[in-house]
Amino acid sequence: MPPSRDAIVHRGDEDEVCPVCKSSRYLNPDMRFLINPECYHKMCESCVDRIFSSGPANCPVAGCHKTLRKNRFRKQTFEDINVEREVDIRRRVMTVLNRREEEFDSKLDWDNFLEQREEMIFNLVNGVDVGKTEADLQQYASENMRSIRTNQDLEAKEVSSFQERQNQEQELARIRRQAAREEKENERKEVMASREDLLSRLASGRPADAAAIAREGQKVLLKKSSARRSEEERIRLKQAALRGSDSKKPGQAAATAAEESGSGLIKGLKKIKSPEPEKPYDPFGGMVPNQRDYYTLRDHYPSPYLDPIRQDTRVLAGGYDLQEYYSRTLLEAFAGLGCFINEEVSKREASSLNAMKPVGTQGAAPAAGSSSQGSK
Amino acid sequence: MKFFIDDLPVLFPYPRIYPEQYAYMCGLKKTLDSGGHCVLEMPSGTGKTVTLLSLIVAYQMHYPTHRKLIYCSRTMSEIEKALAELKELMKYRTQQLGYTEDFRALGLTSRKNLCLHPSVKREKSGTVVDARCRSLTAGFVKEKKERGEDVDLCVYHENLDLLQPTNLVPRGVFTLDGLLNYGEQHKQCPYFSARRMMPFCNVIIYSYHYLLDPKIAERVSKEFSRDSIVVFDEAHNIDNVCIESLSIDISEDSLRKATRGANNLERKIQEVKSSDADKLNNEYMKLVEGLREAEQAREEDQFISNPVLPDDLLKEAVPGNIRRAEHFVAFLKRFIEYLKTRMKVTHTISETPLSFLSHVKELTYIERKPLRFCAERLTSLVRTLELINIEDYQPLQEVATFATLVSTYDKGFLLILEPFESEAATVPNPILHFTCLDAAIAIKPVIERFSSVVITSGTLSPLEMYPKMLGFETAMQESYSMTLARRSFLPMIVTRGSDQAQISSSFQIRNDPGVVRNYGNILLEFSRITPDGIVVFFPSYLYMESIISMWQGMGILDSIWNYKLILVETPDAQESSLALETYRTACCNGRGAILLCVARGKVSEGIDFDHHYGRAVLCIGVPFQYTESRILKARLEFLRENCRIRENDFLSFDAMRHAAQCLGRVLRGKDDYGVMVLADRRFQKKRNQLPKWISQALLESETNLSTDMAVATAKNFLRTMAQPFKAKDQEGISTWSLADLERHRQKQTQEEGRVRQEGHVNGNAANGARNGAGDEFDDGIDEDLMMLDAQ
Repeated sequence: MPPSRDAIVHRGDEDEVCPVCKSSRYLNPDMRFLINPECYHKMCESCVDRIFSSGPANCPVAGCHKTLRKNRFRKQTFEDINVEREVDIRRRVMTVLNRREEEFDSKLDWDNFLEQREEMIFNLVNGVDVGKTEADLQQYASENMRSIRTNQDLEAKEVSSFQERQNQEQELARIRRQAAREEKENERKEVMASREDLLSRLASGRPADAAAIAREGQKVLLKKSSARRSEEERIRLKQAALRGSDSKKPGQAAATAAEESGSGLIKGLKKIKSPEPEKPYDPFGGMVPNQRDYYTLRDHYPSPYLDPIRQDTRVLAGGYDLQEYYSRTLLEAFAGLGCFINEEVSKREASSLNAMKPVGTQGAAPAAGSSSQGSK
Repeated sequence: MKFFIDDLPVLFPYPRIYPEQYAYMCGLKKTLDSGGHCVLEMPSGTGKTVTLLSLIVAYQMHYPTHRKLIYCSRTMSEIEKALAELKELMKYRTQQLGYTEDFRALGLTSRKNLCLHPSVKREKSGTVVDARCRSLTAGFVKEKKERGEDVDLCVYHENLDLLQPTNLVPRGVFTLDGLLNYGEQHKQCPYFSARRMMPFCNVIIYSYHYLLDPKIAERVSKEFSRDSIVVFDEAHNIDNVCIESLSIDISEDSLRKATRGANNLERKIQEVKSSDADKLNNEYMKLVEGLREAEQAREEDQFISNPVLPDDLLKEAVPGNIRRAEHFVAFLKRFIEYLKTRMKVTHTISETPLSFLSHVKELTYIERKPLRFCAERLTSLVRTLELINIEDYQPLQEVATFATLVSTYDKGFLLILEPFESEAATVPNPILHFTCLDAAIAIKPVIERFSSVVITSGTLSPLEMYPKMLGFETAMQESYSMTLARRSFLPMIVTRGSDQAQISSSFQIRNDPGVVRNYGNILLEFSRITPDGIVVFFPSYLYMESIISMWQGMGILDSIWNYKLILVETPDAQESSLALETYRTACCNGRGAILLCVARGKVSEGIDFDHHYGRAVLCIGVPFQYTESRILKARLEFLRENCRIRENDFLSFDAMRHAAQCLGRVLRGKDDYGVMVLADRRFQKKRNQLPKWISQALLESETNLSTDMAVATAKNFLRTMAQPFKAKDQEGISTWSLADLERHRQKQTQEEGRVRQEGHVNGNAANGARNGAGDEFDDGIDEDLMMLDAQ
């Protein structure tokens, strides 16, 4: 884990001198230096207390007339004061210009954006065009309030999920380590126990059996160790499987949520498309049961032969259903109507590589013809 | 001699071959055919290099694909040795074949070693040589010259441009010295000749870093084709090399220098802006377009390259907020200032790259993406500004490299911030360690890119550890043992002193006077019976110092001085080399000497004690690493979680490979002999982790000795070894002539036929046994008990 900032102990040179009160580390070994992000002039803690306790005052460094407040003073993170300042500026710019790579059309646009951001930071750091850059930044911030907010949220979420994952991993590693240690301990114990057992048996047995007992003990030991090994293997595989599923679980919730169209400052932002609402899932792919293409099944078809049956209890008692008969006959009659054999044949010959025989359709066509004749 | 492996004709430059060399070649050939990686262990002193080279050269020449060989070794002397071997081999091949093959082999090392420029080559430091060389050879300097400005150029480098670019050096094998001589004769720069000729070579020999360190590898080794054969020789430490190549240490001093570098850069930008604004604008335009490829300056001009692995190399455009030079410098300054604030902590901190990044962002609004491009952007800027005095920017480059690495890799790295050098120190000297924990990261591109990677050394056991740690699959892993006509080395494990008290260097008892005295007695006894040199290895400098002072108090040193001179290795390289020199003189002239050194020091790694320079090696204590080190702890945890290597397994593996490395120092060939003593109770349980060739020679009866027993055994052994031994005795057993080889081949085919008839092979039996033997528990105790019972 990275250390907290407190852990970073300042170890200055012996002859470090506070530029304000000129007291040196030699005299005051606990001297700590503070800076203020207004002007980044370094001074020791006691100077800060002395000068700024009674409210805001001017910076004591000659030539610097900035007004400083005590609460803004903080410890220096980086040795190089320029880097310290740059990082502060960067922090400010980054919170505003926090577009994400997913929001850009192409990589080139993303890279251009990165360079533009770098350029702005560079300008602010080196004092080039500060006014214009600041204005741009302000304008952008006010225009893109919402996207900035969402990206910040995303960022925070990412960080926390990363943190969580990291913790989880550490915990797992710890468990594994412990398991390995326990395993070793168990093994040792087992070996000791079996040796003791062997010894006691040797002590109690007859001298003639000694060799046999010793051999047996050896065998038991071997067996145990091989059993343990296979057990270990099993556990390991299980652990590996677990680890695999764990790592998949925290999926990246990288749903892009850019709402406003790109402002004038950043180019190449993706056009925002709201995704179409998903339709309910249709398991049959649009097919409706009992709906036919060429006919509708009616309840009654006039037929001199079938009409008497309708009333005949002898037939109906056996469970004969006329409706069933109608539907079957009509299905047979219209089967294959949508198929055009000539077309299919020519198509097949054209792509003769595809050597599938259209057995079904060829057989069905004459059958359809004859049955339709029969029914009409 | 010439023989065939399957259908491949192999020319071996000696009349006899060792059986294990033949087996090694067979194994290697199989791997090359199947196209996979392999891990091969072969004992030291059995001619590994020449075996490897003769097989691979035969392979290259026989098959039409002509796969390139990239041979990586560790030190300059090893590279030079390998080149010399290759030269011999090629000479032999020419003799045998009757014509010169179209073959070119070069070695590459740093500019410092290959420079010919009269004033530059006199510089001591490598970075200075690099920088001065650059100032004389860079492309823009030449442009200036052409524009008529008065600048110095290196004649040797200029002459290269006059030559045909694909034929800077003639065919053949050049050793480094040979290349220097050739360069001097033809007035051309050896370094750049080698660099530029690399694509046209059959064999390239250079150091690990040219392939493993991604910062260098991308520049030097990116053009090799996929089917190249990569060999890592002496690779027992390859995991540490991988890790070191990606780790960075940053101290307060280097940050201060980096700030200075950034300020210089800023000033330079202002200058260029006022004089030659177009240059910066051009660069800016290129970066906007993201045309990084378009900016292909001559590759030698680069001074920093991206430490990100090549396949990870970002083909994206540089982020907008570091596109402008002045923005980038401000960015760097901010990052350096941030690091400075981190340096001010008073307690040790370890954190992951991710949490580091989030903290950076919180404090300085530096995001991850621009950090990743840091190294890249700095290179581009330096090139644009045409900076010459590069060495001033070294610390800045380090910071940039760190930034790139920390933002690229989430896993396998850890930041450790140690405010104090040691536990007891009161003056803070903060160091930020950015450590790589995963050896696989650096070697991954090599493994993935090349179809055959061969990892070989004398001590790689246990072999399965390396593929696990480095994250690759092997087509073959094999350990070859040493065939010996007589038992020419005697490994022993001494667990007790003469008083039957157990000896060990474990923390609880290492400073007990009894243990120290027993160790002293072992040394004394061995100095009494061993002719010539004895090498003693301790687990650490600290322990060595304390034990020596205690020996002094006990009067042990005085009695040792009756027999031998005592010399000590120190962390100082010059002192150590002086001690080593004296040691060699003493071994050559008098009764011999004792060299006390440290198992992880310089002596244990690169220096051979062949023949009379080392007749006995004593390993006092198991050379475990310092386990309280934060970095080691982090690495152990990483290995446990990711490679399933348990802490203790890794620690003991690491200790044993170093112990084996130490033992291997004394046996450098088949006619050599020596005693190897492992003096610690704990070695008894760990003996099956020793390389096969040592553990095979270790008799069961010699694994649990007391000092007096060990001395008696060693005395006997040395007496046997002193008997005359003719080369003829070895023939047919440990050295084969062609006829022996043929006989072996026949037997093998017969055997194979028989096995095939039987149906199936019970292969891997040996492997299974090895795996089973890895258990940690104590089996010695049962034997003891049984012995008690029998009485």
